[in-house]
Amino acid sequence: MNRSALTPERALWWGPALVLTLILVIAPLLFSDFYLSQVLTKALWLGIAAASLIFLAAYVGMVSLGQVALYGIAGFTMANLVEADGGSPIAWNPWLATLVGILAAVGAGLFFGAIASRSYGIYFLMITLAVAVLTYYFFGQVTQFSGFGGVNSVERPAIVSNPVTDPVNLFYIALLTSAAVYAFVRYLARTPFGLALQGVRDDPSRMRALGYNVPLLRMLAFGLGALIAAFAGIISVWWNTRISPGSIDLTRTIDVLVIAVIGGLFRLEGAWVGAFAFAALDNWTRGLDVVGQRFNTVIGVIFLVIVLLSPGGLMGIWQSITDFLGRRLAGKPPARPSAGARASDSPQPS
Amino acid sequence: MSVSSEGGRARFWALLAVLVLVFAATVAACGGDDEGDGEEAAPTDTGAESDGEATGEAIKIGVFANNEGAFAPFEGQTWGGAMLPLINRGATPVSGNSVDGVEGATIAGHPIEIVYGGSDSTPDKAVEEARRLVEQEQVDILVGPLSGSEGIAVAEYSKEQPGVTFVNGISGAQDTTLKVQSPNFFRFHNDGTQWTAGLGNYAYNELGWRNVVTIGDDYDFPYSQIAGFVAEFCSIGGNVTERLWPPLGEEDYSSYITQIPEDVDGFFMGVGGTGTVAFVKQYGQLRGNLADKIMGGIFMTDPVILEELGDQVVGVVTAGMTAADSQEPAYLEYTSQIESAYPDLAGTGSSVFFYGYYTAMEAIAQALEQVEGDLSDDHAAFREALAGLELEAPLGPIRLDENRQAIMDNFLQQIVADETGDGVPDVKTLETIPEVDQTFAGAFSPDTPSPDRENPACEEGTPPPWTDQGGGR
Repeated sequence: MNRSALTPERALWWGPALVLTLILVIAPLLFSDFYLSQVLTKALWLGIAAASLIFLAAYVGMVSLGQVALYGIAGFTMANLVEADGGSPIAWNPWLATLVGILAAVGAGLFFGAIASRSYGIYFLMITLAVAVLTYYFFGQVTQFSGFGGVNSVERPAIVSNPVTDPVNLFYIALLTSAAVYAFVRYLARTPFGLALQGVRDDPSRMRALGYNVPLLRMLAFGLGALIAAFAGIISVWWNTRISPGSIDLTRTIDVLVIAVIGGLFRLEGAWVGAFAFAALDNWTRGLDVVGQRFNTVIGVIFLVIVLLSPGGLMGIWQSITDFLGRRLAGKPPARPSAGARASDSPQPS
Repeated sequence: MSVSSEGGRARFWALLAVLVLVFAATVAACGGDDEGDGEEAAPTDTGAESDGEATGEAIKIGVFANNEGAFAPFEGQTWGGAMLPLINRGATPVSGNSVDGVEGATIAGHPIEIVYGGSDSTPDKAVEEARRLVEQEQVDILVGPLSGSEGIAVAEYSKEQPGVTFVNGISGAQDTTLKVQSPNFFRFHNDGTQWTAGLGNYAYNELGWRNVVTIGDDYDFPYSQIAGFVAEFCSIGGNVTERLWPPLGEEDYSSYITQIPEDVDGFFMGVGGTGTVAFVKQYGQLRGNLADKIMGGIFMTDPVILEELGDQVVGVVTAGMTAADSQEPAYLEYTSQIESAYPDLAGTGSSVFFYGYYTAMEAIAQALEQVEGDLSDDHAAFREALAGLELEAPLGPIRLDENRQAIMDNFLQQIVADETGDGVPDVKTLETIPEVDQTFAGAFSPDTPSPDRENPACEEGTPPPWTDQGGGR
């Protein structure tokens, strides 16, 4: 099938995406400051964190629990290097600190990636879980960098206005970063490097036989995942104006995993869809009078239903709908394997 | 995933249903927000239709404690404390569970709407929840948070919201008021440092301790507790040889207990709410009877913890802002009010969680009564009333200093064998230390380093007025 042909299925897939993007672009006009900041901006940076996990899971076959720790490393490094209440007394230029924070996370990602690169499946998961716990306790114990009270009132670059009183700038920063991350990963997937990664995902032994250095590829992929996570870490610190070990504890680690799973662990878009569902549900159920303090139960049940009904998460649900409607509109019989064109450029569970 | 059979079609409709559900959730989330905006636009119309004597404009009070994390078990107590002043003013509890709130609350003729919130003891979540309550639910007054690090973060946030008045729940870090000094953040109970007043003096002058080790969880609240003990004990000549800091959430304290040298005179324990039980039990197993060696932080006398530990802690001396054995009529009335409002919470009136949220809401209610519920001019009159309030609380008067931090009595107490027959050790008050303020005779000021692992340094200084050396007795 011609890749660029506008089939009804493609229209159904990209049409809503276009509308959503437009809504996001003019979101500051549509939503209150609170909603813009506490739901949309939060969903965007959580989405970036989840995207780093989905990138690893979908393209390299590495389900990592270490992404929150890596964004924590970026956030803590940045927070320590600028003027803040707590942490180290260093006060660098916020942009320089941001750059160093991102580099630190990438460095840590490559280092942990080197350690974990020869492990697969549950063992890889355990190593990354260890990274998460290690990072949490490191920042909790080393009071020169943080301690459990964390680093508060972190200075931001001037362009990042006060996230409480003027959240628009930070929203656009998060939106642009999300778009850039999305485009970058989609582009990367078609480069020889990206194809090699997908080869490693599908059959590491065969890739090794073909002469690829599989551990190196996996290590580099983990470093790239850390780079994406680092953006989330930096924006989260700007958004919170603080970071503490509580910001990167196991609960947050699981939150990001849940976001990726309900969004769709094997579709990159799912990261932001899942993050939005997560942020909106968390906010909405807390305000429900009927639910009151039992909001966590409601959130849990909704997530459970999503995952039970659709292993592909919300994106899986949407794909079923577009497949179904697309075939109806095209007048084709419903009993047909999924459209080949899309399957080729989007990763599938291995 | 392909839709290929009848079963598949059923599945498709089920998926569609879920999608609609999620979409509805999202729309409702936006809708709720719009509603908030609407109320902001026309606040004067609400409340008028309320029944009875409540004729004034409705006042929204957000209450939040911890519904997740290490302190979640205390949520019932915090909410009981926050609801009791409203129940005493005619409101009825929705159920026996205090967290469900109250109905028909009025203060000075204004209907009171309580908005539920809950955090998980991390500063991030506390601020997120405070923001939701302030910016989305549009509360006028916010009561909370519970934990030490949360308080500092929320006090910082309160500076961004000059139109809302914040009253601390029971978070006890010293910096929250002493350093942050937010003009619209009030704390009607003593901080973690003030709660230790009298312990250093007792250790040095009554028990004859000279060399002491401290042990406390590694976060803001125990920093404050241990700072108070160190400042007082060292100012009159004591020596703190070592400070041990197990991480927050630690459950196995054995490696820390073995680090305590056998030859010290005693140690001060500032382990937090949930670690106390584990610590005491493990100490008993490793070192035997601890009663003559240990001084406890505020949580030792918490009714729940006391019940759990039983006779193991008989003899231990602690200090805090509540006195379970008080026979003052005001206190007895307060405990009987709790018993009739929330039978499940009977006996928890001396818990700092209950008492802290109680004093917060009682202060709000009294200040609102003084200004007849007038919150105009960005709460100016209301805040003046709060700042000048002489709160006659069940356990003694409370007034605020210039940082809007409570000055109140502290109680030096000893845990003694059960006499009331309920199987739980009793608490005997040894001494009431009147009007403890935040400075400890100059040991703490806005310019001194925040309490942390090393600060304050152990050095002789001006003894606080309640010590023997300071002329206290």
